[in-house]
Amino acid sequence: MQVGPIRPVLQMNKESKNHSRRDFIRKFSIWAAVSAGVLASISLLRQFVPRLTQYQRRFKIGRVNNYPVNTFTYVPDRKLFVFRDHQGIRAVSAICTHLGCVIKKSDEGFQCPCHGSCYNDRGEVLSGAATKDLPWFELRKDVDGQIIVDQGRLVSPEEKLYL
Amino acid sequence: MSPGISEDNKRRVGRVSKNFFLHIHANKVHPHSLETSYTFGLGMILGFLFLVMILTGVVLMMNYTPSIERAYNSVKDIVFVVPGGRYIRNIHRWAAHGMVLLSFLHLIRVFFTGGYLAGRRLNWIIGVSILVVVLFMNFSGYLLPWDQLGYWAVTIGSNIAASFRELTDILGITQVLDIGGFIKKLLIGDETVGQAALSRFFMLHVIFLPVTLMVLSGVHLWRIRKDGGISRPQKQPVQAEGVAQAEVAVNQDINGADDRGREKFYSWPVVMWAELAILLLTVAALLVMAFLFDAPLREGANPDLAENPAKSPWYFLGIQELVSYSAFAGGVIIPILFLVFLISIPYLDREDQKLGVWFSGKTGRKLTWQSLGISFFVTVLFVFILVRFGWFRSWFPDIPQIIIMLVNPATLSALFYMLWAVWIKRKTGSGRMSAIALFTCVMTGFVIYTAIGIWFRGPNWEFYWSSSQWPVF
Repeated sequence: MQVGPIRPVLQMNKESKNHSRRDFIRKFSIWAAVSAGVLASISLLRQFVPRLTQYQRRFKIGRVNNYPVNTFTYVPDRKLFVFRDHQGIRAVSAICTHLGCVIKKSDEGFQCPCHGSCYNDRGEVLSGAATKDLPWFELRKDVDGQIIVDQGRLVSPEEKLYL
Repeated sequence: MSPGISEDNKRRVGRVSKNFFLHIHANKVHPHSLETSYTFGLGMILGFLFLVMILTGVVLMMNYTPSIERAYNSVKDIVFVVPGGRYIRNIHRWAAHGMVLLSFLHLIRVFFTGGYLAGRRLNWIIGVSILVVVLFMNFSGYLLPWDQLGYWAVTIGSNIAASFRELTDILGITQVLDIGGFIKKLLIGDETVGQAALSRFFMLHVIFLPVTLMVLSGVHLWRIRKDGGISRPQKQPVQAEGVAQAEVAVNQDINGADDRGREKFYSWPVVMWAELAILLLTVAALLVMAFLFDAPLREGANPDLAENPAKSPWYFLGIQELVSYSAFAGGVIIPILFLVFLISIPYLDREDQKLGVWFSGKTGRKLTWQSLGISFFVTVLFVFILVRFGWFRSWFPDIPQIIIMLVNPATLSALFYMLWAVWIKRKTGSGRMSAIALFTCVMTGFVIYTAIGIWFRGPNWEFYWSSSQWPVF
């Protein structure tokens, strides 16, 4: 084995075609560091994607008798309007499909205070920047007589829970 | 010579170069860098405002609790119980608003003096990133009091991020690839604004964004030094671009006189006096503003009742006006186009000899006024049509959403600005003139939309000439 002055690593690589031991260690350590870094950052970045939620898709809104007939009643904390008539009960989202403000009941249907989108009583967009109609949710009656709203299941505006 | 200032030049240089806190300065500065009518000291004021923000922010943090039960009451405690708390909070708020305003003014100053030319491209881009960080910092601070104002501003903001759905809905892939929903969840940590959002925004506001801003402004200042000091007119035309050239320029006049025969100043004490004056003026202005005008604190957040009108802070009202046309166009497409344009300015315009001259001379000054006038006219015209006659949805109720998304006052005025810039480029053949035309148009449009959002929009985002005409509920 030739013993000579220490040469810079790069220069040595140019000269020798075969991978030397030093070359192997150099490449190995770089790749080990890079892959460890990538794996560590993936697992760290995953922490930023929320796993837990306080959002409830399904919840109870009390008995039918709480809701007066032939009007839209706002359900506090749930961002819903419930409409009851003599045959049954229906529920529509009170969240504007434009940018998420809580809409208000107006003469022609609903109106959003934030950017002025208007909907009719069926939740269909009349004017404004909203692009989608308000979703109607499936209702069920629980054994204790309370109404369950399932925001995961959408229904047509006519579909009611018959009483 | 002032007392305590050595006559020995070597010592005076040492004052700056051997002191960690002062060595950010060059030993000597060019007289042009201290001309008030050139820089207006805007960058310096921004630096001092940031310092004030950190100091007052630390004080506020000691009495603030980032939980949705306590946040609002702890801010109330700061205002009504903690001695001097209201004053500190006011200073913090006015410094924050000052940072937004002055960041834009600084951007405008640097643009019109061509401060992105001759190898200063990287620093311009860093400056644009700083603007974005400053805006996010203001936005995240807005939520922390957990009052109606912040709650609904962030609800709207997070849904703007989710408005990618408008695009994925049109493509029909929302079920598979819900980009908008993912960004929204990443931002507020849940489906709706709640404790997760407050925790995230608190972290962003007090750690992540300030540290990012510190690093970016450090690099920003360092690049000014590397690029040969604050930009100024060049003696001879530039042959090459890049750092190497800039360094040659520095070496050339390291001790030389400028074109008017003025000697370079020693940083100690000349620059120090100037900086001290700016610091005192900045702090004085803040103290007066904070004394006269209180930072607002509305009722506590009420998720069941959106305020009417629900307005974001003034610097986002231009965007809010645009999202009232289309959430995706106004909240995503236009801001991204704006940022892409700002970043691409140094690539569109490479006329390095125009460095350091306001408006690049008489032609540019005239063009700026022309662009301002024409942009004002066209933008106001589009908004007039929308307010007076309505838009496509009121004419053809069944029109598909994609047309409204692509054709609304915001996109139309943006298109017009671009056409105007292209026409100027054809006419003059100058990239700099074209950039001036586009930049002036965009900034004028931004100011007009912001002004409409601030003064002419009332309940249900309807048009009113004055807030005294708002209906009473």
